Amino acid sequence: MIAADSFNGVAMLTLIKREMVRSLKIINQVIWPPIITTVLYVTIFGLALGSRIKSMQGVSYAEFLIPGLIMLQVIDSSYAECSSSVFQGRFMNSIQELLIAPMSAAEMVFGYIFGSVARALLIANLIMALGYFFVHTLPKDWGLYFGAMIAVSMLFSALGIIFGLLAEKFDHLAVLTTFAITPLVFVGGVFTSASQLPPQIRNWELANPMFYTVDAFRHSYTGQSYLPLWLSLSVICGLMLIALGTALRMAYVGYKLRT
Amino acid sequence: MPAIELSSIVKRYGKFTAVDDISLRVQGGDFFGFLGPNGAGKTTTINAIVGLARLSAGSIQIFGHDTVRDWRAARRLIGLAPQEYNFDRYLSIRDILIYQAGYFGLKPKEVGERADMLLDRFGIASKAKQDYMKLSGGMKRRLTLARALIHSPKLLILDEPTAGVDVELRLELWDLLRELNRGGMTIFLTTHYLEEAEVLCRNVGIIRAGKLVALEPTQELLEREGKRLQDVFLELTRS
Repeated sequence: MIAADSFNGVAMLTLIKREMVRSLKIINQVIWPPIITTVLYVTIFGLALGSRIKSMQGVSYAEFLIPGLIMLQVIDSSYAECSSSVFQGRFMNSIQELLIAPMSAAEMVFGYIFGSVARALLIANLIMALGYFFVHTLPKDWGLYFGAMIAVSMLFSALGIIFGLLAEKFDHLAVLTTFAITPLVFVGGVFTSASQLPPQIRNWELANPMFYTVDAFRHSYTGQSYLPLWLSLSVICGLMLIALGTALRMAYVGYKLRT
Repeated sequence: MPAIELSSIVKRYGKFTAVDDISLRVQGGDFFGFLGPNGAGKTTTINAIVGLARLSAGSIQIFGHDTVRDWRAARRLIGLAPQEYNFDRYLSIRDILIYQAGYFGLKPKEVGERADMLLDRFGIASKAKQDYMKLSGGMKRRLTLARALIHSPKLLILDEPTAGVDVELRLELWDLLRELNRGGMTIFLTTHYLEEAEVLCRNVGIIRAGKLVALEPTQELLEREGKRLQDVFLELTRS
């Protein structure tokens, strides 16, 4: 049986599997560090210092922290997976295995993205299990838990592809993480509630896309959010579609892939 | 039906023209040598055939399938053994073949036996579970060929397949390529070893500065000129 003329699903599944194999081959680099970091955050901020903080959004500080930490790692892992995999493929020329195959730009982009979402889901669910073990908290709305997580992971995976294509050296991949993702996630409501910030800073938060991702995702745990849920989900989906469209366009024209 | 039909293909990089109005036909079942000095446009032509380079003008057909309009059908028929080793470093040697077949739409259970057969035929079956970086240069070259053949292509494109391999392996690879060609596979070969083209190729094309300067059966070219291919090559490609 050979690839169909209109859709080569086997190729896309092969790429998803390849991305998962890659993650498991470098498990000490990509799976355990976010888990250990999260355990440290929960232990130090949630359990040790958190006992001095009164409840946030109607739950203990440790319970408030867990969904924020999951989102932090989903964002970080999704971007890192796609950006490094695409750039490494270009750097080593192994991406040519895909480019000479009867595989469309969409099959390639979604193969990378779904492989990255699978890694993010694995990390998120391990942290979710840790949250249950240490803090006895679980999502209340599983649909929102998975829906928001997948949408955010797709958004940052698509950004990873874009930067994996733009980068000229490994150092360039860190630019977005160092100067945008990490600072914006940290001030985007992972550790604090927007309602506790001074009003002038609170308004700035509305310009921070990470704030919408954390706020919507936390709703799946606490049933509450600072912004209306529809607004946060609309922002996430809108940004995801823009990033996805850009990644698809770049792959279609063969940007830095085909000469 | 021609296996490859290049119709007035042009590839420009800015103001530089790497391939300049080349037209040629390689018949199905042929063993074709595409020769030229470094930087003549051989690899660019190959890249255009396999879809790694977009044409500035002209068109390419593979067994009647246009590489732009009917790209899936065209690519399915081509196996490429590139000059560089560009294997996936996260996969074992056997998985390199299985995953490559997957990108061509073939499920692992459909190609498992063929992968084992190819590894065996190329003498690397004992290394199947190893990382490719542990292979010697000659073994990597064999793996490149095995990967190009995993999806049973009708056209095999080889970019300097014997570069950097010892004489023994080169002769072994020649036998293998002859065997594949006898089985009906069309072979498009670029090489710097002109005796290789002289021995293997029924037809040759010589390219210089992006332009095709000779295209004819190897024997006719040699008989007409009364020289070895190396002398004809030097005469045609020297500026």
